[in-house]
Amino acid sequence: MGFFELALLEALLLGALCGVVGTIVVLRRRAFFTTALTHATYPGGVAAAILGLDIVAGAAVASVGLVLIMTVLGRVRRQGPQVAAGIVLTSGFALGTMLQSLNPSLPVQADTFLVGSILTVSVTDIVLTGVVLVVAVAAVALVGKELLFSTFDPSGFRAAGFRPGSIDLLALGLIAATVVVAMPAVGSILSISLIVAPAAAARLVTDSVSRMLPVAVVVGIASGVLGLLASRAFSVAAGGAITLVAAGFFVLALIVSQVLGRSRVRARA
Amino acid sequence: MGIEVLWEAFQLPFMARSLATVLLLAVASGVIGVFVNLRGLEFVSDGLVHAVFPGLVIGFAVASTGGLIWGAFAAALIGAVLLTVAERRGLGSDATIAVVLTSMFGIGIVIVSRQQGYVAQLEQLLFGRLLTVTDAQLAQIAVLSAIAVLLIAATGKEQLFRAFDRHGARAAGRGGFGVELVLNVAVALVVVAGAQAIGSLLVLALLIVPAAIGRLVTRRFAVLFPIAVLSAALAGWAGLVIGFTASVGAGLTPSPGATVVLVLVALYVVVLLGSLAATRMRRAAVR
Repeated sequence: MGFFELALLEALLLGALCGVVGTIVVLRRRAFFTTALTHATYPGGVAAAILGLDIVAGAAVASVGLVLIMTVLGRVRRQGPQVAAGIVLTSGFALGTMLQSLNPSLPVQADTFLVGSILTVSVTDIVLTGVVLVVAVAAVALVGKELLFSTFDPSGFRAAGFRPGSIDLLALGLIAATVVVAMPAVGSILSISLIVAPAAAARLVTDSVSRMLPVAVVVGIASGVLGLLASRAFSVAAGGAITLVAAGFFVLALIVSQVLGRSRVRARA
Repeated sequence: MGIEVLWEAFQLPFMARSLATVLLLAVASGVIGVFVNLRGLEFVSDGLVHAVFPGLVIGFAVASTGGLIWGAFAAALIGAVLLTVAERRGLGSDATIAVVLTSMFGIGIVIVSRQQGYVAQLEQLLFGRLLTVTDAQLAQIAVLSAIAVLLIAATGKEQLFRAFDRHGARAAGRGGFGVELVLNVAVALVVVAGAQAIGSLLVLALLIVPAAIGRLVTRRFAVLFPIAVLSAALAGWAGLVIGFTASVGAGLTPSPGATVVLVLVALYVVVLLGSLAATRMRRAAVR
């Protein structure tokens, strides 16, 4: 396979994965958390590059640490999850910048972490994306009900005798894994768009979770593939093009939902 | 090198300018950050930080360095209006903010990627150049910070009302679109002011962390402001001294903006641990 076919395959798998995990992010209102995580994995990537290790592995280690810090900090009085995400985001970013500025001879450029380069993904990156996709689909198939229950009624979930900790951990783990495998392809800043926009668009045009998930997956795949094709056609950065296509789907969904909502109101009246 | 490094470094003109920049930003972001914290607008601020990026890019493409500030200014205002409208129309879920944020950023990336050698530009826009601030830039920063603080001072009562009692404020007719827009515009102005000096992404730290330190230390509203401003100023000064010492004494090249932010976060961690210990001791004393 040539590099463009590899990139297409990655866009396809990543789009599907982002559709699945994005649904969890949007329904559980974890968009800021995910944004913080995407930015904060950056020092992990830089540190790994300095030590000569795999960048994805560095980002993975960093994301596990950051999930723990954010969970602890979110429970401190008068601080809360918003502040926790803000602090992890900015300190992670500063740390990455610092590591990079102290090692000016680093062969890998900052923009590789920040905006990704889907045209240079390795077969390992694609396999990793595929593995996370399989795990995510399996998780939704096996414990999707529990995931939904804990999302929409946390106290009821606890009262029914479930342990909220483990299901939280599963959701966070899936989000972190997605952020990490998305980094080489679309970068740490732009990946949030591919994760959130398809699911947010799907939420606007559907009225049940069982319909939202497949719509999000289709929109995610379409964003990845169309964005990649657009980047080749207009020779612009692939990460940026994918982001804008995903955002375009969101705007489209917004318009459709407004029009549908209005006509529904009129039908009722 | 003795203790005199704490002030002697600032006898160099470029260090003095950097210090002035950091102190100005500390005042503006400390004051506005308190309202960001109380309103829970951390994510909206992040959105505005990213929204400025395409403005910087377009401004640079149209009018080179002189266009940076105007492009950033225009983009920040557009971002502030978009995010305020999204919140008012009930689309203020964090998913919407995330989409606005990344799509604005994506526009910037797509535009720079059409140009030659965009990597260096991108880095400069994201990380800033604290040590090469010119007198003209310093004046711009002073004006923008002053306008932002004045906006907040003028609507202080309404901002406070809106922060603590959203429905009450709306019922009283004082928590309207205007109040929300003013705060978002003030945040945008600080972001524009800081973007050139310490980089658009690190400005966010100055908006979020000092106010969070204030919340840890005090429960009194009026005391939040001096604590936020002082901790930002302290971190700015210490960060510059550390960066200067490291580059002169040890031959390292730490990014000054990142040094300031890391000192600020270290301060936050110290205060956090202290406040947790204090709470525990108080509880033990009650028992």
